[in-house]
Amino acid sequence: MDYKYIEQLLERYWQCQTSVQEERILRDFFSQKEVPTHLQRYCALFALEKDEEELHLGADFDRKVLSRIEEPVVKARRNTIHFRLAPFYRAAAIVAVVLCLGLAAQHSFQNDTQKPGVSYNYAGYQDTYSDPQVALDQVSSALKTVSHGLRESGLHNVDSALVDGSNDDKM
Amino acid sequence: MINFRDDVLPLKNRLYRLALRITLDTLDAEDIVQETLVRVWNMREDFEKIDSIEAFSLTICRNLALDHISRKESQNEQLDESYDATPDIASTPLQALLLEDKRSWVMKLFNKLPEKQKSVMQLRDIEGKSYREIAQVLGFTEEQVKVTLFRARQYIRQEFEKIDNYGL
Repeated sequence: MDYKYIEQLLERYWQCQTSVQEERILRDFFSQKEVPTHLQRYCALFALEKDEEELHLGADFDRKVLSRIEEPVVKARRNTIHFRLAPFYRAAAIVAVVLCLGLAAQHSFQNDTQKPGVSYNYAGYQDTYSDPQVALDQVSSALKTVSHGLRESGLHNVDSALVDGSNDDKM
Repeated sequence: MINFRDDVLPLKNRLYRLALRITLDTLDAEDIVQETLVRVWNMREDFEKIDSIEAFSLTICRNLALDHISRKESQNEQLDESYDATPDIASTPLQALLLEDKRSWVMKLFNKLPEKQKSVMQLRDIEGKSYREIAQVLGFTEEQVKVTLFRARQYIRQEFEKIDNYGL
């Protein structure tokens, strides 16, 4: 059998002039059972590809890689606008309480110092007028005014009562 | 629309083989692939802008693997293109063949290549990528890819010829 073609291909292989397809032909040739003796020593070289096929990574490797790239997914929780603003609400409530307390305190201090309220300590009263006659005139005038006012309102009430009573009679 | 589970995760074995080729350590390679996939996932917003998600992932994987070995080798001898990698599998290839199975001998030759040659050969001879795709992954020009692959293959060829010279 003539192996000239193979020998030529082999020579071109050493010179890096073979194509991928021609190198495939060489590999197929050298993987045969019957290779001429003078070419047999190259069988090992062209069997490299087959030897390498045995080198592979298993399913366990896939699991390792996938566990590294597929990190646990964190489920997104939908937060309402009220939920998100809750801290602000709390802060606003605290500020409001503090302001109210502050204002109340300020108000009470001001009243104590500037506008003393009605004092019910009669012993502490002082005379308004130095002349008793003037005081009596003032009190009389005041009482007259009150009396006049009461009378006015009393008459008005009697009149209205009478009017109401006449209406009842009519009914 | 690129889907992580359907389009990115199935690349794990290719990424693993590339990382393993560079680091030569199965546990380190697995960690690197894991980190690569997590990084690709973190960039999922930009998936639409990425021309090839496979090339993109392979690039990240290679960079992480390179970072890893540079950290590991920081106290040791530097390995780069100019470094004349001499396999220490045995004093002669003949002894090597006596000691080891042919396949593992080839594998050791492969692993002894400088990183760039190793990565290019991995992507070409194992993953069957075109020069254009390899250039995209490594950030090289197609010409650079070809030159790097040529050096790698020449080195392997020379090692095979050494066996011939020993009469095998």
